[in-house]
Amino acid sequence: MKEVFIGRENLQRLIGRWAKDYRVYVPVTFDIMNNEATPDYELVAGEVPEKLHLEGAALAHTAKSFIFYSREVVAKYPSSDPEADVEAPPTVIVGPRACDVRGLAKFDKVYWSTVHFTEEYDDPFIIEKRKNTYIVSLDCTAAKETCFCTMVGGEPYPKEGFDLNLAPIDSGFVLTIGSEKGEKLVAGSDDLVSELQSTHGQERERSRNSVTEAVNRQNADFRVEGSFDRYDLEGSPESWAYVTQNCVGCGACNRVCPTCTCFLLVDQRAKGGYERTRNWDTCLSLGYARTGGGGNSRPELLQRLDNRLRCKFEYSRDRYGLVTCTGCGRCIDACMGKIDMREAIKHVVTEKAKA
Amino acid sequence: MKNLYRPIESVIEDIKQETPNINTYRFRPKEPVTFAAGQFVELTVPGVGEAPFTPSSNPNVTDTMEITIMEVGSVTEALAKMKVGDTVGIRGPYGHGYNLTDFEGKEILIIGGGVGLAPLRSLILALFDDIDRYKKISIRYGARTPEDIVYKDLLPEWEKMKNTEVQQTIDEPHPDWRGTVGVVTVLLDDLPLVTTVDVDVPFHAETAIACVCGPPIMLKFVNVGLLQKGFKPENIYHSMERNMSCGLGKCGHCMLGEYYICKDGPVLTAAQIEKFGDPF
Repeated sequence: MKEVFIGRENLQRLIGRWAKDYRVYVPVTFDIMNNEATPDYELVAGEVPEKLHLEGAALAHTAKSFIFYSREVVAKYPSSDPEADVEAPPTVIVGPRACDVRGLAKFDKVYWSTVHFTEEYDDPFIIEKRKNTYIVSLDCTAAKETCFCTMVGGEPYPKEGFDLNLAPIDSGFVLTIGSEKGEKLVAGSDDLVSELQSTHGQERERSRNSVTEAVNRQNADFRVEGSFDRYDLEGSPESWAYVTQNCVGCGACNRVCPTCTCFLLVDQRAKGGYERTRNWDTCLSLGYARTGGGGNSRPELLQRLDNRLRCKFEYSRDRYGLVTCTGCGRCIDACMGKIDMREAIKHVVTEKAKA
Repeated sequence: MKNLYRPIESVIEDIKQETPNINTYRFRPKEPVTFAAGQFVELTVPGVGEAPFTPSSNPNVTDTMEITIMEVGSVTEALAKMKVGDTVGIRGPYGHGYNLTDFEGKEILIIGGGVGLAPLRSLILALFDDIDRYKKISIRYGARTPEDIVYKDLLPEWEKMKNTEVQQTIDEPHPDWRGTVGVVTVLLDDLPLVTTVDVDVPFHAETAIACVCGPPIMLKFVNVGLLQKGFKPENIYHSMERNMSCGLGKCGHCMLGEYYICKDGPVLTAAQIEKFGDPF
């Protein structure tokens, strides 16, 4: 992959150039309720915000939000048009981290079979957006306390799956071009980049190693026997009951998860007839598996949390060859019951080993 | 790209009442929706929503489709209020059908409970179309009361078909009922416990095929019963329908472990699901 150097001000200019042709989302910090600043995406409208948040760890929103909307019209009826009416303006997203980029692989497997070699149906709404979305990812320069990407086969910096990647170093960024789409984003902007010096590469390696070590260090207590892609979480009901005791089934973990792909179709009246909307759903809700007539294959909350975690580690692995927990830690951040996925996994695996 | 979520307009051509809360609807889709026995479709009641159903008509009839539907939830209740001439939506078919070439030359046991006979009817009609290819067809059906029996007029006709038998039971004794009483598993009692090649026994459990559809509790006990009788897990087909929302292997609602029932099913063999313990 081709790598160049870009200074901070020049990056600002480059983003400004993109904003002329694309919808561009950039990372900034929001001061929410006078709490500590929350990093999240902002749409560039006019000038590029002066203070971009190009450091730290993953943002509040996952990259999935840009290709899989929380609510979206997927059909209007009655209609005789068999073609999907997809709105997918070209969009650049600056700021997804390695855990987000890895998360998109799940969407590719589930929704875009012809390119990603599964036997699933191709979904026009995801595919068009995926095609028109440019991922400008970012190395993590620090770990938040819930980060655990290195426990699930990841690193705090992307290795693949991005169009451009930015690795922050003191004087600017190492810019890696990861795809043809990435080439397109930097075409005509040779004036803003320069040749990479060996010191730049060394500086990036030092930063990457130090963040990797930090993630490893803070997760030392959560280590479990065996490889993450071989976990057997078919634990006893008692061990799952222990894990579930503080769960209220709110589904916050589903919504912030970079690999939760599930949805519910909801129909409603609309101008000229009816419309079908696709809405993010949560497998933790009681109604998720309920059938007409009241049957329910997972009536207990502990069965539903069991299903959620095993979906990440076992079911996705068995179906798509992909463990779909990317260790972003957002489910831990979002949980009002303070359930820690790492503790949950450790508890179930340890109890199972004892039995 | 083709929109997978678009329902195809379909007119209700006929409504036949089967029981106080079960009707059989005949739909005529504006574009053909052809299916194989065992596959299902998503039926839209405009503005209310979708629900998955397995057609109950002959899959070899392609211009119309019949579905027998019980009133159990919002979509089915709204459908029950609709009239002949009204328009609904259909998309599909989804999932795998029964592999009928595997059934050839074999004895086929069809076990239905309640409205669970409805999806099996499309299988039965498909089998009837090629009846000489199958050694025997035994239809065993249980309903709660005589009133709850679906296809009351068709069952005697089916019994007249070549190499076909029909046995029925109701759950509780009833003044109008002269036949067998007990839950549907009592209809397995004539099957011998051990496997045998004796020509006088009703079924050769080692090779016979069983197709089962009904409430989860029934599937569970019929499964145990058939395995005890010596049926091979790979020859027992269960209708594992759940609340499929998309039917496309995406929305996640019907997931059973790594399976999407909508895509890998809705018919799964006992061999495919035995690792889940009690998945019913």
